[in-house]
Amino acid sequence: MRNKILTVDDSKTVRIIVRKAFKPYDCEVLEAANGVEGLAVAAKEMPDLILLDITMPVMDGVEMLTKLKSDPQLKGIPVMMLTAEGGRDHVLKIAKIGVRDYIVKPFKEEVLLEKAGRMIELKPLSDSPSKVRSIFDPATILVVEDKPAIIQQIQEGLKHTPWKIHGLSTQGEAIDFCAKTPPDLVMISLSLPEDAAFTLFRLIRTNVKTKYLPVFGLVVKTETVAQQQAQTVGFTTVITKPIDIGDLESKVARAMNLDTSQRYFAIENSNLVMRLPENPSAAVLAEITTYLKPKLAEAVDAGHNRAVIDAHQLKLLHMGLIKLLVLAMQTCRDLSVQFALVGNASLIAECKGFEDTRAWVFHDTIDDAKASFGKPAAPVAVAPAA
Amino acid sequence: MPATQEITERLIRDNISRAIADVFKTMLGRQPEMCCREDNAALSWPPVPIESDAIPQVVGTVGFLGDANGLIYLYLPVPFARMVTCHLLGMTEPELDEAGDEVINDAIGELTNMTVGSFKNGLCDAGFPCKLTIPSILRGSNFCIEPISSAQRFVYCFRESHHKIVTDILLKTGE
Repeated sequence: MRNKILTVDDSKTVRIIVRKAFKPYDCEVLEAANGVEGLAVAAKEMPDLILLDITMPVMDGVEMLTKLKSDPQLKGIPVMMLTAEGGRDHVLKIAKIGVRDYIVKPFKEEVLLEKAGRMIELKPLSDSPSKVRSIFDPATILVVEDKPAIIQQIQEGLKHTPWKIHGLSTQGEAIDFCAKTPPDLVMISLSLPEDAAFTLFRLIRTNVKTKYLPVFGLVVKTETVAQQQAQTVGFTTVITKPIDIGDLESKVARAMNLDTSQRYFAIENSNLVMRLPENPSAAVLAEITTYLKPKLAEAVDAGHNRAVIDAHQLKLLHMGLIKLLVLAMQTCRDLSVQFALVGNASLIAECKGFEDTRAWVFHDTIDDAKASFGKPAAPVAVAPAA
Repeated sequence: MPATQEITERLIRDNISRAIADVFKTMLGRQPEMCCREDNAALSWPPVPIESDAIPQVVGTVGFLGDANGLIYLYLPVPFARMVTCHLLGMTEPELDEAGDEVINDAIGELTNMTVGSFKNGLCDAGFPCKLTIPSILRGSNFCIEPISSAQRFVYCFRESHHKIVTDILLKTGE
């Protein structure tokens, strides 16, 4: 359920600044211009946090706070003063009535968010449901690693992606970076000196802006204690060195909740083309399997009833791939989609060697496959005999 | 209770200087500089010229009541007040035009409230507890505000790029 924040201030400017500050977070900001309105809104909406000014017409903040704290229904709502009324004695007097925190104006939005984040869960708003982030969208990844070769390897390995990889070597630099421009994902070497990886992880999780960032740990396979510790404290995943870049890329995409379907599925000239990469890992096969049915259904829904299953880049055939191809063909049949396979010579030869794949018919090119759809007795692959 | 006469010009100058610096830096990312003492001493009254072509001003006022009593006027030229409002509220100039002067008044009222709040918190910590009043706004291009004779007046001028910001502090004398 969305958190509700009530800002009680006679200044519309302050209420707008508060609204603006919380806009990137999944919460509802309610407004009141004085203590009377504030009490009414609080009783009706039961907010999760009240930001309260002091000097207001009709009923000031001190009176509202006193009434709030004497109401059994409302006294549990945390209140944070947000006021130009400072001065040690004044703050102490109000603190005694019962406030959770006190911000003296002028204030920075960051301070407001940080303090509010200590009292309520501030979850960043994800992009709107209609605009899911894709694998082709830019993203910023921070790698905190004191071995430059590892940073270089990650930068080199992911250079074909639109992701910008920033390499930093110390915890301090990483904190500054995150405060300035929160990245989309952080990778931290678990072997940084003095347990810096875990200190940095804690700081990331306590900052409202980085609280929900995916954080990967980087460590050599044999460091099992560090791996276990990382999993216990809540690292998103642990990547072992030497790094398998393909696997890393898949995990990054999954952690950032990216739509990777465009990598494998495309509509070309009214045909759905499903492309299998050269050497798909188990993670990639799982990804394609996840997208298979929704993508085919989406194509049919849009009026595209033909599919080309392009396997010509495949180097090796194994059971995982055979299962995927069988599933793809079966899904096409279920959805009444006409389909054709494209393969290379070695794949075709390998298929001849298995009982289940012997009857599969391949075309040499995508164009040949597309052309086959027009022919009355198109060489459509058939299911293996039972 | 210390007497109001114990509030020295130095305390007032330091407080207003710190208040302006705090508020403008925190809320607007700007650092107005206080004009040198000679400039301030030579500052003629009224602090903004009364001429037919004078730049229109938005003047925010907030008072403080308690062991120290007084009020502060914060003069901002209209173009600067507009810029400040846009920055505070994340608005563009056309959006501000559409929203009207009421939005500028509210923004400058709040900026004044913060400035005077910061100033008076310094007085509280120096042993003169007092509370703020609700802000009000004055607009115009050809006016001067005269205090009653029993008030002490302290005028300080600040510069932020080519804009002139004036703080006019009136302090009621006596205990």
